[in-house]
Amino acid sequence: MNLAARNNVKIHGDRPGVPTMIMAHGFGCDQSMWRHLVPEFAGRYRVVVFDLVGSGNSDLQAYDHAKYDTLQGYADDLLELVDAFADGPVIFVGHSVSATIGVLASNQAPEKFAAQIMVGPSPRYIDDAPYRGGFSEEDIADLLETMEANYLGWSSTMAPAIMGAPEQPQLGQELANSFCRTDPTIAKHFARVTFLSDHRADFSRSSTRALILQCSDDLIAPLEVGQFMHRAMPGSALVIIANHGHCPHLSAPDASIAAIQAFLAA
Amino acid sequence: MTAADDDWQQAPCGLMIAAADGTIVRANLTVCRWLGYAPEELIGLKRFSELMPMGARVFLQTHWTPLLQIQGSVSEVQLDLFDKQRQRMPMMLSAIRRQRDGVVHDEIALLIATDRKAYERELRAERARAEAATADLALAQSQLSAANAALSLQHRHKDEFLATLAHELRNPLAPMLNVIETLRLRQAGQQDGGRAADILARQVAQITRLVDDLLNVSRIGQGKVSLALAPADIVPTLRHAAEEALPATTAAGQHLTVDLPASPLWVLVDQARLTQIVANLLTNASKYSPAGARIALSAAMRDHRVVIEVVDNGIGIAPDQLVLVFEKFSQLVPGLERAQGGLGIGLSLVKGLVELHGGDVTAHSDGAGTGSRFTVSLPATPAPPPVQHDQSARVAGHGALPVDVLIVDDNVDAADTLAMALDFLGYRTTTAHTARAALQVIEHARPAAAILDIGLPDMSGYQLAQAIRATPWGAGIALIAVTGWGQEANRQAADAAGFDLHFTKPVDFHEVSRGLQQVLQGRTAAGMT
Repeated sequence: MNLAARNNVKIHGDRPGVPTMIMAHGFGCDQSMWRHLVPEFAGRYRVVVFDLVGSGNSDLQAYDHAKYDTLQGYADDLLELVDAFADGPVIFVGHSVSATIGVLASNQAPEKFAAQIMVGPSPRYIDDAPYRGGFSEEDIADLLETMEANYLGWSSTMAPAIMGAPEQPQLGQELANSFCRTDPTIAKHFARVTFLSDHRADFSRSSTRALILQCSDDLIAPLEVGQFMHRAMPGSALVIIANHGHCPHLSAPDASIAAIQAFLAA
Repeated sequence: MTAADDDWQQAPCGLMIAAADGTIVRANLTVCRWLGYAPEELIGLKRFSELMPMGARVFLQTHWTPLLQIQGSVSEVQLDLFDKQRQRMPMMLSAIRRQRDGVVHDEIALLIATDRKAYERELRAERARAEAATADLALAQSQLSAANAALSLQHRHKDEFLATLAHELRNPLAPMLNVIETLRLRQAGQQDGGRAADILARQVAQITRLVDDLLNVSRIGQGKVSLALAPADIVPTLRHAAEEALPATTAAGQHLTVDLPASPLWVLVDQARLTQIVANLLTNASKYSPAGARIALSAAMRDHRVVIEVVDNGIGIAPDQLVLVFEKFSQLVPGLERAQGGLGIGLSLVKGLVELHGGDVTAHSDGAGTGSRFTVSLPATPAPPPVQHDQSARVAGHGALPVDVLIVDDNVDAADTLAMALDFLGYRTTTAHTARAALQVIEHARPAAAILDIGLPDMSGYQLAQAIRATPWGAGIALIAVTGWGQEANRQAADAAGFDLHFTKPVDFHEVSRGLQQVLQGRTAAGMT
């Protein structure tokens, strides 16, 4: 198995002796989400970015519906990547669903993780009174329907160009809606696995040092969810960034970088 | 209102401008009309996402906004918007993020996509149906191939069953033939005493032929028949087969004619099998022809092939039946009053045997009532150089006896009747029914020959032969194997175990006697040198 090709792994700032920071994107996008953070951290860390299998320029042939029917499949991949590309315990940065993937991986092998930075995480999206995740089951059904209606330019004639050209990343950039293109079947499955997951217990068991980066106005991860996690992980740090949306690393990169640096310096 | 402003307001698509946080800062009249809002109800008051159901709002966060942030535009996105009455309105949206005077905003174009969405929904449903149908088809195909596999297994089981059946039917025929032959020999001198025995002999011979056909056809089906091929002139074989068929055709009131060349026809052939082929074709012709019909056997050389034809002017074959005649167990619907009988395997056997010779057989008929022609084509072979026949291997008549023979068979009837027949020919026989008893008899009586059944209860005939050969007094004994299966493998096993001769049940005891004489003479000759 060629992990670098499977996950379209890219390494920035590869210098001997520096700790490894590994960044995992969230649902809907790919490693290009980290464009503002990578140059900032690439000096002091060996920054490893990758695409989850089924997203971006990963090997779509590797998308095994059974394996990725739970987030554990992605956590297994992450542990393989840590073993293959990191030297010593890593600082893991996970956006949204990848924060959960990081929790699953670090619970399984805590010795491989020095810290975890969770950007807009949520352990469970659907309400489960008294827990408030922000969504009803009907909302998720509506999302799945929306996913299905949006092929975002995907067609079987385009698929080979997208799937088979990791050596030509510029090809993807010429296309409209570039990094959101993926096989609609995979996108819908990933949406279902993400939004129907419930990993509250796993967050409670997490012992790896954690920073929760929360947006002040985030539909997908409301403030209540951040507070729930902060309580569930007693040693964790919670930083709320004034931002509308779910991607502070894109829309408020400076505040995000500052919060991460402060956490790592502490 | 300027013309440009009017164009903006009345454009055939909805147009909006939203601030970075999604707040609507402009909206044209087209989109306001579609959504049922007055412009002042939207502008500055609502966020773009507030016009959307939850699915679209999440999609905005996970796809739309990152696309605008990273690539500056997004196109052909289908999202539902709520109108003022909270009715869903399918929309097609494209947007560009622009920066003017340091302020980021998104310019959004909207089109109503109700029909398109309905159409795409139908396409998706159709695709799902097609995928389900493909899955059903794959399932049906796998079931079909499983059924085929089961069928061919059944076919194999049927062939195995037929072989076993024929084998089991053959076994009791051996003692019956022995008894009949003994009766005939005893009654040969009497006035009409041989008649009953002759009838019995003919009937048993007929049963033996049927059982042999059944065994052969099932073993061909199992690929277990091997031929003893040797170059031979088949003209005498064909003549002999015609002579054999003559009594039956004469009895049926039919005229059998033979047209064979004066020069030899050399073929690489198993002569016994060729006899079977021709006998079956002649029997078939007779069976499907009325009294008075003509049946002709001919053979000739044509294009390096030897072509044998059996032609009759009997009931013929309808065109739709022509392809079926060589199928196993197929019988034409009898077109004559007299019962046809038979197993419907004769022609199937002919085809199997001809093909084993590397030849082919075809049937031709102009239709019902016009007679039939069966053509067997075999590859010709060059004539071998003449050989000097050794005339010294003289078959001793029964006068140079007595010889002591031990007959070993757990079937007591088979042993006793063979003993009876050989006794009649002048041998002195002893019988044993187990290998153990046989070894004791040999040790004490030291017979000159032993005839061993292979299927003994305490050890196989092969093992017994080896045990006999291992004793000091067993090296010179003539050993004859008798098996129920006339297979080449049995023959080889018999050779390997130290047998001098091998016979297949039911044995013709005249042949056993002749073989025995040859072996014993060979022993004597070897002993003298």
